[in-house]
Amino acid sequence: MWSLTRPDAPQDKPLLVVDDRVTAATPEVLEAGVTLGMPRREAEALAPFATVLTRDVGEEARRFEAVIEVIEALIPRVEVVEPGLLFVPVGGAVRFYGGEDIIAMKVAEGIAGYGEALVGIADGPFAARWAAARSAVGDPVIVEDTLRFLRSLDLETLREGVASDSLIATFRWLGISTLGDLAGFPRDALATRFGHEGVLAHKLASGEDRNALPREIADELSVEMEFEDPLEHVDAVAFAARNISERMLQRLRSNGVAPHQVSILAQPALGEARERIWRSADPFTERALTDRVWWQLRAWVEAGGVPGGITRIRIAPFDLSGDGRQLGIFGDEAARIEAERALARAQSLLGPDGVLEGRPQGGRMPAERVAWSRWNESAAEIERDPGAPWPGSTPKPSPALVPPRLRPLEVEWDDGMPSRVRLGTRWEPVLTWSGPWRLSGRWWAGERDADRYQIVTSAGALLCVVANGKSYLAGVYD
Amino acid sequence: MGKLEIDLAAPLLDGPRESDFLRLQPGKITELVGETGAGLTRIGLSLLAEPSRSGPVVVVDTRGWISPEAAWETGVEAESLVIVRCHERPLWSRVTAALIEGVPAVFAEVPVGMKDQDLRRLGALARARKTLVAFRPMGPRLPAGVSHLRLRSLGITWEGADRGHGKLKGRRILLEASGKGAGGITRRFEVEDGGRKIEQVEDESKNPLRLVSDVVADQARRAAG
Repeated sequence: MWSLTRPDAPQDKPLLVVDDRVTAATPEVLEAGVTLGMPRREAEALAPFATVLTRDVGEEARRFEAVIEVIEALIPRVEVVEPGLLFVPVGGAVRFYGGEDIIAMKVAEGIAGYGEALVGIADGPFAARWAAARSAVGDPVIVEDTLRFLRSLDLETLREGVASDSLIATFRWLGISTLGDLAGFPRDALATRFGHEGVLAHKLASGEDRNALPREIADELSVEMEFEDPLEHVDAVAFAARNISERMLQRLRSNGVAPHQVSILAQPALGEARERIWRSADPFTERALTDRVWWQLRAWVEAGGVPGGITRIRIAPFDLSGDGRQLGIFGDEAARIEAERALARAQSLLGPDGVLEGRPQGGRMPAERVAWSRWNESAAEIERDPGAPWPGSTPKPSPALVPPRLRPLEVEWDDGMPSRVRLGTRWEPVLTWSGPWRLSGRWWAGERDADRYQIVTSAGALLCVVANGKSYLAGVYD
Repeated sequence: MGKLEIDLAAPLLDGPRESDFLRLQPGKITELVGETGAGLTRIGLSLLAEPSRSGPVVVVDTRGWISPEAAWETGVEAESLVIVRCHERPLWSRVTAALIEGVPAVFAEVPVGMKDQDLRRLGALARARKTLVAFRPMGPRLPAGVSHLRLRSLGITWEGADRGHGKLKGRRILLEASGKGAGGITRRFEVEDGGRKIEQVEDESKNPLRLVSDVVADQARRAAG
């Protein structure tokens, strides 16, 4: 709810702060049914009385910087998720201060002057975030049994962890209303039905929060920029932020990884270097990383945290956990780019119809069962459901060679049975055959019925269609 | 589904195993020799199944007839498969070179009348790029030195059809492996394209292997999804 603390927010009015989704709302708006993370239009429909403000994250980051500094003075290694939400590992601090309750109170007291501070402590960031949500100002929630706590949470809490409305809607349709219900399902079943998102949701519901597995990060993955003229203006800082973020992600892509956390370091012309860690539940995308770097640098510049301007920026990824690996269909990102370049080159030589992709679709003949589309264009629309039974379809195995159109084929028949087939200039005796299988044509479209045969010769097997007394080649089992 | 397995019934003699013949090697060209109908298109497509799980794979189709459905049945991932149709012989070597340079695995039909020089260049390019490549010449064999392994189809036997009854179910392809990839000796083995175990019918190297093959799957992986 950090967004609500902005200075230009009208006092004593119901407020709704949004980007594409709701990022903050006053209690009256929440009572109307609005939830955080809800799509903007849905929220506006539920709370038409609310004043809607568009979120300015950069400005929020600048104001949040003071809060971070207070907490950092108490506990090191602050991880900023977004302005208004941060995590701190408290394992070491518990030993230092003597208890979780003491830490919670110290944090709450330290930031009390900056707004309504909610503090929660639990095993893992996901549980801690919702523990904080259940706390009240001056009354932190310290979760003893994290698993039990998680199981009591509403399914809606997954929205931040999984960010899939359709997944949550499907779970609800299946009768799942709490994380406890979800944890009761076998993970294998969720993996089969919902894939990676389903597994992630189940892990969160089961108390297996993102397991950060810090790896040795090679120095070359860090990116550094030095400036002869210190950066003092936000425009120059914005440009540098974009540049350095792109460079770092390019390096990471070639290694097939993406970070969950980045450390942003700025060296001022005067004084000591400033460093801040930003974290994301999902691996950072280029846009997300550029935003974080920009927010952080802007916050330092505008708050006077980098006296004399910035002379050096360094970004280092230091949590490339397994979940952070962005291995898409083409696995390694560099290989994917190279392959795309090669295919684009082939397409430039052959024309757009020379490079094609196929998708399975339903149909009774082999030629019907492929939906073709040009490579690098939107995938072809599937006209017929491939999962439907398709009675009368030619059996598998499918012919490996299928002419685009039926081709005339000379077949010699003996009392209704194929006896010889002309292949090129020679006649091949038929060794055996199967069929005929009737193919009923769409009479309303002028199609006639046809018979299909699988004909085996010493030169191979053919799929043959006989219609109107003529024989056609429909495929070669090569 | 769609992968070839080897069941070792006895210790192997020295030299490459038959299972390696049906797996593309980085930078080494596998040549598939045989007439249309000899069963080699499907064999070539099945060679792409394994690499398709980790990256894009490309089929260069010179006739416009190759069906991706057969590739899916052999285990090739639908989303990884790209079909490049190249009917013009003058363009074929340029297109294929571009693909070998950038795509991890390529199965290409080689049109009739290609210059030896062009084919050798492609061989060198594949070696340099460590690309997985299978060539299926539509005409004569590739010139010497281009392919590392040559698989020649000696015959194909279909099962399942019986004078109007049944349907084609499986096939047996007798293959002859030769070249460096076969250890410099000619070896024959049989692949069953249907998922059942068979005995190796001819074994010049006295290598008592039993080949297990399920090149033909009952159902396409992607279609089922």
